[in-house]
Amino acid sequence: MMTTMAEILLVDDNPADLDLTIDALAQSPWRTHVSTVSDGAEAMAYLYREGKYSEAIRPHLVLLDLNLPRKDGRAVLADMKSKPALRRIPVVIFSTSQARKDIESSYELGANSYVSKPPTLSEWVSAVKVLNEFWIGCACLPREVES
Amino acid sequence: MNTTATRTARETEPSHALKPRLRVLLVEDDPADRDLILSELNKGEFEIHSDAAVTADEFRQRIRANCPDVVLADYNLGQWRGTDALEIMREEGLDIPLILVSGALGDVTAVECIKQGVTDYVLKDSLGRLPMALRGALKDKSAREERKRAEESLAEKVEELARSNADLEQFAYVASHDLQEPLRMVAAYTQLLAERYRGKLDEQADKYINYAVEGAVRMQSLIQDLLAFSRVGRQEIGVKSTDCNEIVERTIENLQGTILESGAVVTHGPLPRLMVRGLQLQQVFQHLIGNALKFRGPQTPAIQIAATKEGAEWTFTVADNGIGISPEYAESVFIIFNRLHTRTEYPGNGVGLAICKKIVQQHGGRIRALPRDGGGTIFNFTWPAEELAESRGPA
Amino acid sequence: MNFDETDILLVEDSGDDAELAIHALRREHLANNIFIARDGEEALDFLFCRGPYSARSFERPPRLVLLDLKLRKVDGIEVLKQLKQDQRTKAVPVVVLTSSREEQDLVRSYELGANSYIQKPVDFEKFRETVKTVGLYWMVINRLPVFREAKQAAGGGS
Repeated sequence: MMTTMAEILLVDDNPADLDLTIDALAQSPWRTHVSTVSDGAEAMAYLYREGKYSEAIRPHLVLLDLNLPRKDGRAVLADMKSKPALRRIPVVIFSTSQARKDIESSYELGANSYVSKPPTLSEWVSAVKVLNEFWIGCACLPREVES
Repeated sequence: MNTTATRTARETEPSHALKPRLRVLLVEDDPADRDLILSELNKGEFEIHSDAAVTADEFRQRIRANCPDVVLADYNLGQWRGTDALEIMREEGLDIPLILVSGALGDVTAVECIKQGVTDYVLKDSLGRLPMALRGALKDKSAREERKRAEESLAEKVEELARSNADLEQFAYVASHDLQEPLRMVAAYTQLLAERYRGKLDEQADKYINYAVEGAVRMQSLIQDLLAFSRVGRQEIGVKSTDCNEIVERTIENLQGTILESGAVVTHGPLPRLMVRGLQLQQVFQHLIGNALKFRGPQTPAIQIAATKEGAEWTFTVADNGIGISPEYAESVFIIFNRLHTRTEYPGNGVGLAICKKIVQQHGGRIRALPRDGGGTIFNFTWPAEELAESRGPA
Repeated sequence: MNFDETDILLVEDSGDDAELAIHALRREHLANNIFIARDGEEALDFLFCRGPYSARSFERPPRLVLLDLKLRKVDGIEVLKQLKQDQRTKAVPVVVLTSSREEQDLVRSYELGANSYIQKPVDFEKFRETVKTVGLYWMVINRLPVFREAKQAAGGGS
């Protein structure tokens, strides 16, 4: 359980999906601070605090879509899990894809969890609430480590 | 060493009648026999262009140099045998008819030679048979070429099918992924609109929003069904011997809710074992029995399943006493998304029978719908008997 | 019990904690087949299909591993390490469920590839709630790597 407010980074190129998630998190039991980026390259810049993201807080949890423009989710995942500074951050793949190969390869690359985006509004809200309840309310997330 | 001489054609008749050309490679170590055979050949209906070889090496050389239409070979050639020529031709990738022209062979040897691939054999003291043997050999050759063309055409079709399956695979992925996302946006946000503004806008607006939500939700359901339909036959599942009694019983279990609710009685006669791909036969029964329950009439539903063997196939019937299908629609019911009733009358997208038809056809059967005396419908489908399917091997 | 049908492998040396966890999971119908390994060695034997569990298959791992860190014979960190370093087992989700309050255990676990890390609440009721949430998230919301689905899709055939 977080003693400071949990920072969640949402990586998704669809603003409609981002809004759904942000709304659902707002309805969830544990308060969080949410940042969003809309492509893989931006995600990496954010995580490395480059350029306009130099003041960014390193997230405690990342919700990552797979199909992103520029650098896709799979590449971001592979990158994060191979860097000592970033590999400990839990990454939950949050994608429309239910394809076996996408699920399998995500776990192979080190994803901590994989959630399929539900087709209906109510299921989406429930899924995000349970996600919040588990990751923010229950689990311990690694805190920022001074590099 | 022996030298070979290429003999040129010698016409024995004036050339007013043009004879079809025949290129012959003669493999014979005895010069006298060679002359005899050639003179016999030249008497015949062909214009002979002959070539000769004595040793295996010469044969290999000559066969590469001028591809003959037919090879005439003696059986005993000293260091080697006429039948060895078959092996040499195979090594060179050539498929040329070989006629053994030999002294007495004995039946066993003759049969052996034919098994090895010799097209025919002619005894040296019955060279009169040679023309007939030649004709036979040429017919054989054109038959072989025909078959080769057919095999190539088949290989092309298989490749085309694989490509088209890959396209379908791609389509299914696109349908499932790329279409679902915008669909979800429409469905979710119209619902959010509805929640946020219900009662705050006018009645008309509420109605419009509800139609939009309904449309989006229905599209999501259609896409799922389309995917299910396209998935049939794409999976790499092997065929397995399956007990139909178990399948039907499991289906009845799955439909327990509706059966209890309607008081339906579902019975089946003894059913056979069949070769089935995965759970596909269960899908067929699930749709047929499910439909029989859904489209029930005023009476308590009574559904009977039976199977009879006719020749190399089994014919299954699923009979009900429901609302029936008018004969003019008996074929179109099997078309995907075709429905005979409005959604308010009966739910569903109209994909079940299309799936049944696809599954039955892919297993080598046929399906149709027939009216039943006294009301109701009989669905009738065939399926190859187990022994037949086995002999074809799992696909 | 068919070990290949295991939903959850609970690696826990405390009898009380194990019982509490199982009760919570069963009550919410989150898992049917729960197998308890009492020490690190048993956990490794189970997961690597050896010793008394040599009949087990790598193709049918448990859907989730709940792993305590303080274990006898082989400790939790070592179990985690071996599991996550082996190609055959690295995709199995592991949630560390420990009474340890050490920061380094938390960091090391995530570094070694633990899917998640939970500190066991001391309070009995909160512990039950926690287990319920764990089950709900991992068994219902989360999509698991495919072993199970492959078995179902094939209809048990060939």
